[in-house]
Amino acid sequence: MRRGTVGICLLLAALLAACGAPSPTDSAAGGSEDATEAATSEEATSEEASEEGSDAGESESTAELSGEPIPLGVAVAQTGNVALLGQEQVIGAEIAEAFFNERGGVNGRPIDVLLQDTAGDEAGASNAFNTLINQNEVVGIVGPTLSQQAFAASPIADRAGVPVLGPSNTAAGIPEIGDYVARVSAPVSVVAPNAVEVALEQDPEIESVSVAFAQNDAFSTSETGTFQETVTELGLTLNPVQTFQTTDTDFTSQASTIISQNPQLVIISGLAADGGNLVRQLRELGYTGLIIGGNGLNTANVFTVCGLLCDGVIIAQAYSPELDSDINAEFVEAYTAGQDRNPPQFSAQAFAGVQVFVEALIAVDDEQGLDSLELPALRTALNEAILAGEYDTPLGQISFTEEGEVNQEQFYVAQIEMEDEQTGSFTFVR
Amino acid sequence: MFQNLLNGLAIGSVYAIFALGYTLVFSILRVINFAHGAVFTVGAYLTYVLTGSSFGFNGLLRGQSLPFGLPFPVALLLGAVLAGLVGVVIERLAFAPLRRRGADTLLTLVSSLGVAVALVNILQYLVGAEPYRYPSTALGALPTAINFGSAAAPVPIRTVQIVIFAVSMVIVALLTYFIRGTRTGKALRAVSEDATTAQLLGIDTDRLILYSFFLSGFLGAVAGSLVGLSVSVAGPYFGLAFGLKGLAVIVLGGLGDIPGAVVAGLLIGLAEAFVPGQYVAYRDAVAFVVLFGVLLVRPQGLLGRAQVQKV
Repeated sequence: MRRGTVGICLLLAALLAACGAPSPTDSAAGGSEDATEAATSEEATSEEASEEGSDAGESESTAELSGEPIPLGVAVAQTGNVALLGQEQVIGAEIAEAFFNERGGVNGRPIDVLLQDTAGDEAGASNAFNTLINQNEVVGIVGPTLSQQAFAASPIADRAGVPVLGPSNTAAGIPEIGDYVARVSAPVSVVAPNAVEVALEQDPEIESVSVAFAQNDAFSTSETGTFQETVTELGLTLNPVQTFQTTDTDFTSQASTIISQNPQLVIISGLAADGGNLVRQLRELGYTGLIIGGNGLNTANVFTVCGLLCDGVIIAQAYSPELDSDINAEFVEAYTAGQDRNPPQFSAQAFAGVQVFVEALIAVDDEQGLDSLELPALRTALNEAILAGEYDTPLGQISFTEEGEVNQEQFYVAQIEMEDEQTGSFTFVR
Repeated sequence: MFQNLLNGLAIGSVYAIFALGYTLVFSILRVINFAHGAVFTVGAYLTYVLTGSSFGFNGLLRGQSLPFGLPFPVALLLGAVLAGLVGVVIERLAFAPLRRRGADTLLTLVSSLGVAVALVNILQYLVGAEPYRYPSTALGALPTAINFGSAAAPVPIRTVQIVIFAVSMVIVALLTYFIRGTRTGKALRAVSEDATTAQLLGIDTDRLILYSFFLSGFLGAVAGSLVGLSVSVAGPYFGLAFGLKGLAVIVLGGLGDIPGAVVAGLLIGLAEAFVPGQYVAYRDAVAFVVLFGVLLVRPQGLLGRAQVQKV
């Protein structure tokens, strides 16, 4: 009897520890442990990388930092069906933490990136934000992963007066959530039309366009609106729109209908697994025209879904590893030291989010001194500094409007080029 | 029309063999094994590993692969056997201790739900959340699609769907033979009829429970691998949606009824396939609408027997 009870208790304990759904208490413990472990491994990677360039780099940076670490929250999807994107953001944020701490942190004080798992839904994001704000007492938050989650969680931070930077929220209406909400991710209305222009350059004969989107995802819904407007404005024929869910796997119906519409261009707004599957099933059923993928397909994870059939998919980009700047070169070097590929947009945006916080904190420290401010005042001053600053990030030069919308100068368009079934790359065509 | 029919039969046949896993355990223990959806996922990953494919960028096993790669049919079978063993371990850890203490079936149900969550999280820790795809050589030299129409009016059907339907039907036939034609199968039926009487007659119920969990895991893994072959293994969570759909299938077919699960699986698959194009994103709801409609008329399910209350 007793052995059975102990067994069940152990099982339940293991479940609580393993469970991805974040209740405020268990996610706080689990999340910060994960953060520590992950940060340790990433720091090790960064240390190895820096040792190549400078033997004394690590010891110097450790000696320079002093004072209590400044807690900065990063709330992204580490579990759930959007963990694909969230995992890339975690890597970007951890590289940023190690990178800026090696360079003296915030005038000698280290920053401490506290990861909190939002999972893939709105409730998870709200829990993660509440934990970071109330328990971890962070100065600001980079997150969440999805626009859908931002509409639920960012108002919590706004009401608490905690600055939030959306690393990948591209739907319309994100900066308008509140005074404390800004984003480093350019809105779809700016990024997406570039892909249609490139498609028309590649095939000027395009007349008929079919569109499919994930209707249970706010970002995909917003993105497809932009695509559809662009198609109509360009005088192309827009076929009846096809819908799916991000959790769908079988797209035979949609693919068959699209092929029967006889389009020369198909535009898909979804996430990596579902969007990649639709690409694959379209190709398998014989579609040979051009395909544009939305931002959700902007990840190397899509390669494994459609394999060689991903070849040629056009995707608009807010980031290019090829951007010629010092900070981007350093970011790419740090990323490739730990990963066997070039950094994706989601990692670069998370890095930029942490960078903006660090540089804004330095600005606040220079002007008012961080120690002289109570936490609420510090958060408010930090928010003002974020919106006032200009930042040279791996995304290029960025700044913010008064509302918190990002001003980004350069955008790109890439095309997927597959080497084999598993590996491919984004080749920049603009 | 033909396209929809075959699409429906292909996905419906996978629902059927997946739901048979639920049915086997339910018919013996009268408990829904909520970990079945997770075993479906585990099986798909095991098959993936056995084909010699490597893991991606995230997770503890990133970049790792076996030093050998098996042909897909062999990997599928071996993966399913291993997943069957996972089913046995689940029985020993999550079901047996509670059963021995005579715990309420609700506790067992929650325990299996816990195992499902743990398995999914362990998978993500090990292999990350990215999707994985079986090698394109999995179907040998078969073309990716077969045109059942003419060149002018093509009716393309993906070859993988035809393969899935064929394999699923073979599995159903073999399972039916096993249950009806073998000694162990008859013993399983006896236990499902009345476990106490079967035990009094000398049938080792504990061993048969293990058999049913093994078979259940085996069937779940075959379903998972076939779905993975068609649409890739879409991450550790991809079994959850099938888990819910499988529940609809067994309730529709009649709890614990094997032919009922097959009929209900095919019916739900066909119902989904014939959802009009503009509403196709809502097809998951179709399974449950069909279920609701049938239960109003036949609360015992399509082929289930009505429970007679003996006072």
